[in-house]
Amino acid sequence: MGKSALNDEALEILNTIARADILVGIPSYNNEKTIGHVAEAIKLGLAKYYPTAKAVLFNSDGGSDDQTRMVFERIARTNSYDTFFIKEPQFPLKTVSSQYIGIPGKGSAFKAIFEAAQMLGVKACAVLDSDLRSITPEWIQLLLEPVLAKGYGYVCPFYRRYKYDGTITNSIAYPFTRALYGRRVRQPIGGDFGFSGKLLKLYLNQDAWDTDVTRFGIDIWMTTTAIVNGFKICQSFMGAKIHDVKDPGADLGPMFIQVVGTIFSLMSTYGSHWQKVVGSRPTAILGFQSETAPKPLNVNVSRMITKFTEGISSHKSSYQQIFSEQVFTKLMEVAEMSGDNIDFPKTLWAKVVFDYAVFYQTAQDHQRVLQSLIPLYYGFISSFVHETENLDDYQAEEIIEELCQIYEDSKPYLIEQWQQNKS
Amino acid sequence: MKKKKILSIDDEENIRLLLSCELEDEGYEVISLGNPLQAMKMIEDEQPDIIILDIKMPQLSGIELLKMIRDKYYDLPVILLSAYSTFKRDVAAMASDYYVVKSADLNELKKLIKKIFKTHL
Repeated sequence: MGKSALNDEALEILNTIARADILVGIPSYNNEKTIGHVAEAIKLGLAKYYPTAKAVLFNSDGGSDDQTRMVFERIARTNSYDTFFIKEPQFPLKTVSSQYIGIPGKGSAFKAIFEAAQMLGVKACAVLDSDLRSITPEWIQLLLEPVLAKGYGYVCPFYRRYKYDGTITNSIAYPFTRALYGRRVRQPIGGDFGFSGKLLKLYLNQDAWDTDVTRFGIDIWMTTTAIVNGFKICQSFMGAKIHDVKDPGADLGPMFIQVVGTIFSLMSTYGSHWQKVVGSRPTAILGFQSETAPKPLNVNVSRMITKFTEGISSHKSSYQQIFSEQVFTKLMEVAEMSGDNIDFPKTLWAKVVFDYAVFYQTAQDHQRVLQSLIPLYYGFISSFVHETENLDDYQAEEIIEELCQIYEDSKPYLIEQWQQNKS
Repeated sequence: MKKKKILSIDDEENIRLLLSCELEDEGYEVISLGNPLQAMKMIEDEQPDIIILDIKMPQLSGIELLKMIRDKYYDLPVILLSAYSTFKRDVAAMASDYYVVKSADLNELKKLIKKIFKTHL
């Protein structure tokens, strides 16, 4: 487990609390505008659905230089139950806001949350992003109840998202994880999860806390670890996810590298597992399903196409090294034809990802390798936007399903490349 | 080798007959049920390897039944059948292994059944 992510102040408070049934954690970094709403929803949800439980709300902060922690503490400690027609819980909610110790990042924040939950011996734990705007008190029940009442080990969120929100999920994290490990978890990096005390213990015992897992890799690492270790998984329907969305053509570089790097690294850890997996199985979706309209997001396609074409010329020699001749030739054809209406075939994209996954295993400079994949990702996303521009979110979902099938059907190619690389 | 058992749940008798004939020809044991309200009991008694489930049934919709099945049987394969492709818009349908639009040509369904039996997690 390594060095603790909890500081002395947090340890002292947790020692005073001693035991709890439930812990809900919020990682944060400069989220003063949104954390109050998240903390309020959690506080109300805990009182409404778990009025007799001993509950702890834990804010794990990365050293915010704004008012994040103050806002959290003020909201979490305000008695607002009556305003929302909710009875005060039997045991007053305990709140902790603490700056975690370790590499700055979401994973380190989660580690502190996990350690706190383990110290308190909780039965169930949930984590929720601090930039959520669509969270309601019901989300708490949706993430915790499958663990507490139905024996699930891991609960993933199932959101309605705008067709261009979550492009890393849609193009790699979901289809690749599904093809590798055989479980269809639609939001494997959804950010909001519930899990059992048993899974929590497993997470803390893993030797991964000094990798990209400490940053944005944490979500995919949690999901993959739960799947591979045979925990019973479900998805809870949370409605629409409204949060601080980003244009996929901007700012996603570090997240892309950390998420994809973690997926590739885990392939080595679980190589003997995923090579035996054929096909995929669905995952139950719990919760009341209603029509919700996610917030549209503007996408700058021309910027992505420019990044794609610039990347093709600057990384051409790397691509020749990474790809088979067939994949390289096809990629160059796509690049030559890429105007505003780029057509990046899904079968080619799956092979691009597979070839990268294999090359990554023996590469010296992982960061550089992943950096060179980003332009191709922009190329594929531009093509996806072009293909789906006149489709609604449901129809776009069918295109993603088609991509998933292609990943699954192309898996023998991955296994062949993987085994050749190992021999 | 023991035959794989398929439970077909559909309120239309002609569909049940069609599925039985065609799938028995493929070497499966097929049991049929017209009333979805009896499904949970039948699953418990018969322990099928796959369920083929109609969506639009008067007593209980296939989607509702799917939720009940998933709640009790974590990994039991279910294929949804419907005459209307619009059911794909119901996210609950994603908890099935596959969904197929009803047609007299059962090749797609047969392929998916084979695929499920080949699936190894």
